[in-house]
Amino acid sequence: MPAPSPSLPRAAFSLFLAAALISPAPAALKPPPDALDHWAFQPPSNPDPPAASDPSLQPIDRFLRASLAAAGLSPATPADSRSLIRRISFDLTGLPPSPADTIAFSKADAANRPAAVAALTDRLLASPAFGERWGRHWLDLARYSDTKGYVYGREERRFAHAPTYRRWVISALNQDLPYNRFLLLQIAGDQLLPPASPDLAAMGFLTGGRRFIGVTHDIIDDRIDVVMRSTMALTIQCARCHDHKYDPVPTADYYSLYGVFQSSTEQLIPLQTTDDAELKKRQDALASAMASHRADAAQRLRSRLADYLNAQRELAKYPEEGFDQILSPSDLIPASVRRWRDWLRTNASPAHPIFGPWLTLAALPPDRFPDLAAKALAPLLASGSLHPAIAAAFQPPPDSPAVVASRYSEVFNAAAAHPDAPGSAALNHLLNDPSGPFQVPATGIVNNELFFPSDTVTALWKLQGDVDRRLIELNAPAALTLTDLPPAANPRIFERGSPARLGPEVPRQLPVILAPHDRQPFQSGSGRLELANAIASPQNPLTARVFVNRVWQHLFGAGLVRTPSDFGLRAGSPSHPALLDWLARDFIQSGWSLKSLLRNLVASRAYQQSHSPANPDASSVLDADNHLLSRAPVRRLDFEAVRDAMLAVSGDLEPASGGPPMEITDPANRRRTVHAWIDRQFVPGTLRSFDFANPDIHVATRHETTVPQQALFFLNGPFAAARARSLAAASASLPDPERIQFLHRQLYQRPASATESASALTFLTDAKADAAALPPPPPPSPWSCGTGSFDESPQRTSSFTPLPHFTGSAYQGTPAWPGGPTGWAQLTAIGGHPGNTRQHAVVRRWTAPISATITITGTLRHEPAEGDGIRAFIISSRHGTLLTADVHHRDAPMAVPSLTVTKGDTIDFLVDIRNELNSDQFLWSPHISAESTAWRADQDFSGPATTPPDFLDPWAQYAQVLLLANEFSFTD
Amino acid sequence: MPPPDPSLLNRRAFLARAGMGMGALSLAPLIASDSPRPHFAPRAKRVIHFFLNGGPSHVDTFDPKPLLSKFAGQPLPDSLRTERKTGTAFPSPFKFQRYGQSGLEISDLFAKTAAHADDIAVIRSMHALVPNHEPSLMLMNCGDSVQARPSVGSWVLYGLGSENQNLPGFIAMCPGGMPIKDSENWQAGFLPGAFQGTFIDPQHRELDKLIEHIRSPHASRLTQRRQLDLLAALNSAHRNSHPAIPALDARLNSFELAYRMQSEATDAFDISREPESVRAAYGDHVHGRQTLMARRLLERGVRFIQLWHGAGQPWDTHDNIAGNLPKLAADIDGPIAALISDLKQRGLFDDTLIIWGGEFGRTPTVELNESGQSKLGRDHNHYGFSVWLAGGGIRGGSVHGATDDFGFRAIKDSTSVHDLHATILHLLGFNHEQLTYRHAGRDFRLTDVSGDVIRPILA
Repeated sequence: MPAPSPSLPRAAFSLFLAAALISPAPAALKPPPDALDHWAFQPPSNPDPPAASDPSLQPIDRFLRASLAAAGLSPATPADSRSLIRRISFDLTGLPPSPADTIAFSKADAANRPAAVAALTDRLLASPAFGERWGRHWLDLARYSDTKGYVYGREERRFAHAPTYRRWVISALNQDLPYNRFLLLQIAGDQLLPPASPDLAAMGFLTGGRRFIGVTHDIIDDRIDVVMRSTMALTIQCARCHDHKYDPVPTADYYSLYGVFQSSTEQLIPLQTTDDAELKKRQDALASAMASHRADAAQRLRSRLADYLNAQRELAKYPEEGFDQILSPSDLIPASVRRWRDWLRTNASPAHPIFGPWLTLAALPPDRFPDLAAKALAPLLASGSLHPAIAAAFQPPPDSPAVVASRYSEVFNAAAAHPDAPGSAALNHLLNDPSGPFQVPATGIVNNELFFPSDTVTALWKLQGDVDRRLIELNAPAALTLTDLPPAANPRIFERGSPARLGPEVPRQLPVILAPHDRQPFQSGSGRLELANAIASPQNPLTARVFVNRVWQHLFGAGLVRTPSDFGLRAGSPSHPALLDWLARDFIQSGWSLKSLLRNLVASRAYQQSHSPANPDASSVLDADNHLLSRAPVRRLDFEAVRDAMLAVSGDLEPASGGPPMEITDPANRRRTVHAWIDRQFVPGTLRSFDFANPDIHVATRHETTVPQQALFFLNGPFAAARARSLAAASASLPDPERIQFLHRQLYQRPASATESASALTFLTDAKADAAALPPPPPPSPWSCGTGSFDESPQRTSSFTPLPHFTGSAYQGTPAWPGGPTGWAQLTAIGGHPGNTRQHAVVRRWTAPISATITITGTLRHEPAEGDGIRAFIISSRHGTLLTADVHHRDAPMAVPSLTVTKGDTIDFLVDIRNELNSDQFLWSPHISAESTAWRADQDFSGPATTPPDFLDPWAQYAQVLLLANEFSFTD
Repeated sequence: MPPPDPSLLNRRAFLARAGMGMGALSLAPLIASDSPRPHFAPRAKRVIHFFLNGGPSHVDTFDPKPLLSKFAGQPLPDSLRTERKTGTAFPSPFKFQRYGQSGLEISDLFAKTAAHADDIAVIRSMHALVPNHEPSLMLMNCGDSVQARPSVGSWVLYGLGSENQNLPGFIAMCPGGMPIKDSENWQAGFLPGAFQGTFIDPQHRELDKLIEHIRSPHASRLTQRRQLDLLAALNSAHRNSHPAIPALDARLNSFELAYRMQSEATDAFDISREPESVRAAYGDHVHGRQTLMARRLLERGVRFIQLWHGAGQPWDTHDNIAGNLPKLAADIDGPIAALISDLKQRGLFDDTLIIWGGEFGRTPTVELNESGQSKLGRDHNHYGFSVWLAGGGIRGGSVHGATDDFGFRAIKDSTSVHDLHATILHLLGFNHEQLTYRHAGRDFRLTDVSGDVIRPILA
């Protein structure tokens, strides 16, 4: 599809082939041999903007107009003031302009559009709302979430650092932190910043992904993907299992990057010194438990050395990560078996003074071992270079591999027991080397959990969770950083992506795309800083292009490259290649300033044109997809912008407080959407139905679907209704015609037309008539169900607490019965069960709806022979106790022949457990009759009184319609 | 959650927007005429999947292993590594019988379902990758153990669309709350959120708790009608001053759809409208109710329904299977049998695909506790397990593949989860290699890079 220039040099070609040689068998499809010549992998050209007859035209417009002219098209006329201020305001801040701002802008615009737009742009770019809008765009790419996704119950599922990262992104954009620095800090801030710098929060970019239940390969894969696609639109993840089918990315390049992230460990760093004693206590508890479990594990590793060495001969028996087993302390730990494997591979050679014999003997065929061992060992023993203890241990030569292992075990255990013995120092050095095979890595549980038995893992995660929870409770700023470990072995290719099929070793280095001619292995540590520098470099052919293209997409509805996170061979060519290059170079020259870039784009006439093309017929034929920008796109606001705009126009928007994030579904949440709690494991249906960015995936372009669930949210959900009520209240003092005008100005930044006013008035008249005709709400039921206790001295019910949960057939304390403080307490239409103590008797209460003389009848049945039965009471609020009965394994009539009640009096039918909680279920459904009417507990039994519907008043109904209209949700 | 009705969403538009470089990126092109189209004539139009979450034991249900009795208490020659430690051969405490003309062997646990033995094709040679719930759930539901990938139901909905725009096209029901891995099991992955499964807890009886925002707490039906009429007037004036843009009309229409959905959904979920005899056949308990609700939904054009057994993982029977399995099986044996009869009676059986299975099976060896004593239960087993299918396009009364003599490992016609998925898509009219979606630089499919249709079980 793309057409790289055939005249470009071919040097890269052979390099790619060389890289491919060490990668696994190629798949059926392969990138073309000149793939490295693809336009996106070449440095941006340095084009001169085309000449223009109008000297005031900016370079951007010159490029665009040249393409338009070539197609025989003209640009559209300039947009009107209102459309323009709406467009600029939503694009830069995600919020609508106020009516006053709109009027002021219109005046200034009439006098001098460029000056008016420049002033408006400056004001909006300086507003904190700018970072909130553009920060969200970045968070889409960074697959932002406040939680880790699915984790086992032992682990805290919330991230302690995520909100800090989100605030950092917003603030960095507001400060116009140069984009190259913005990237450097997010990828390698740990190596550029002083300890505890607040900017360490930036590393949440890497560490904020899903946890994949702790499987290293998948965590790293997520990090490779988020870095490569966000910054350079490279789909390197495709090369995890085989060479990329389209782009020049051999599998080897994927594993070079794998090695970078593998050589890092995570650290949760509080960014504010806190004197919180509880936090300190929990941190200490974690540290001391970790130290003691590591010591225990080291002891086991040493004492079972023979088993770990023997395991090297049957590695296939020890499953890879992702195949989880419940491990006890007596089990060999598969991760430790692999650590031995890797350590021996990297460190041992036949000349190694300690493990030379191991390596030599391991190469012998087992069936001829006794014959060959002595001969194989002889040169080693003769060389004199062996550690004396090892040399001694292999005299006489072992006669089986198992004996080899046990002799190593004896040597090391003796050295541990006698550290001062001659020669023990070297062995103890190895025993105590934190990066050696006798030790569990000295990292947090997040990075070393695989090295412990299951119960220990659970215990350590609980302690880590205690720390995390405390940080979250304190709402304390925190960073989750990566720190380089001492570089371990070079990564090895996982053939077909499987860690069980280890392929060749590869160096940690840049992908060949980024260094086709002079690639060198990374020199320092993991190489992460070198990687970051190469990404944030002005020489990088992709980084600046990818970023300006993303920004372009947010202003013009589509990128110059329409696959903003795939600049590979399948991306196709940019619609305006020279413009893309010019923008990229200009962006770098401006100091990587997002705000400068936005000023330039907004100042362009292309951005400011109207949605009506100069020649509609020609535009619809020659520029159907608007690639040439012969008109401004009509764009639908995303969910954040609609929700935030509703809050803004209704006066309900609350500024960000820096407090903990709130659920988006919480009616009290009136903050901007960007600050909401995002739980990747439970994304609310509302967000999903509005195509919110999936927090598990780097999202470059949101889907835009229209489904009825979106309409239901606005129609029936509480959010839009609350905004409508606020709007009605805010305008309540105005006379009707002005109230209509107010609402239109507030929502649409324009007055209502005569037609609109007329239909509004008709609607309001009808709505008022409907409201007047509503039937009165049904009277509340006189019966209620609760718990209380019988108070002996005044012979009354001492308290009445309604049973809060209704199942459809019973009232009880909690959804699961029995449960909660009220225990077994339950009332149904015909009976029930008292709560567990006398303090939690069940009370069926009748509240007199009228004043009358009444008769109470009914029978109480307690069936079971077990237990001691129940106590029952009928108690009047006016007359005290009317009747009591102890009932056990029998029926008891519960009748009161005549009683005068006054409206509002209560009669309680109370049952408690008597003396013991045992088989206390009962049947009792009282009837109360008055002269002309009767109340029966069984027939009247119903769910909790539904609060009478809180209908919107006619003005709120009207305001809701205005909020729902397309005009509100689209920008021109 | 919602039905991606062809008039609102269309497959070609997504393809275009996902990377073909055509179509306006900022506006979903919402064109009514382009309905999704299968690759060939489908044998089934809709799917119901009984998901026995936790991992149902195959050797106690659909894969009899008489040799286990012979070797009871003895170690197996080839005991494989699973999540926990297991011991000696553990014969099934349940009796198997032959049913129907086919003589399919089914244990007493599913005696009612067994009445339909001649409609059922059992795959006895399924295998997964690891003996752990989480990755195996993801593999069975989304075709990948780890990455965020669309679920089977999402792919089906993406391919076929929904037949009823007033109801969600893909529904997952689970009594009492979420299974392990929560909504990841019915995620849309990189597909639009509209293809995600809608979760419903059938323990609720009130409609508003089943479907979010389905009723207005603040406007009567009459008020809403008036509001929508005014809205339509405002929108049409707005449209007249703008170029023809499908997104404007789509949004306008979506409010009318939502209005109709309120009454349609009420009807679909209300099983009290079924005759007493039907309700009795399914059973008056939550599994009976959810199965009957599912039939009403299938009948109304819902494309894909998953019925989970319950919150967490009820079929994870590590201990006392003699006591636990009969209860679990009794929950669904009657409803499954009733559903098959009911679908047949309504003429829906022949184009409805029924799937029964979990994320893996259980070991034929007994699980041991920490002291090495028998727990009278079984550990997870991904090396071999059973899944069965019935209905549209399935050759009933057949058995495909086999595990070894003890039921530990699939040895004959070994069948991967991708094979199963390829078969499901095939029955629905899709070549699984061609139902793809461009994401992150490549064309993804449900079956990743492998998978063969299981031809022998096709009618």
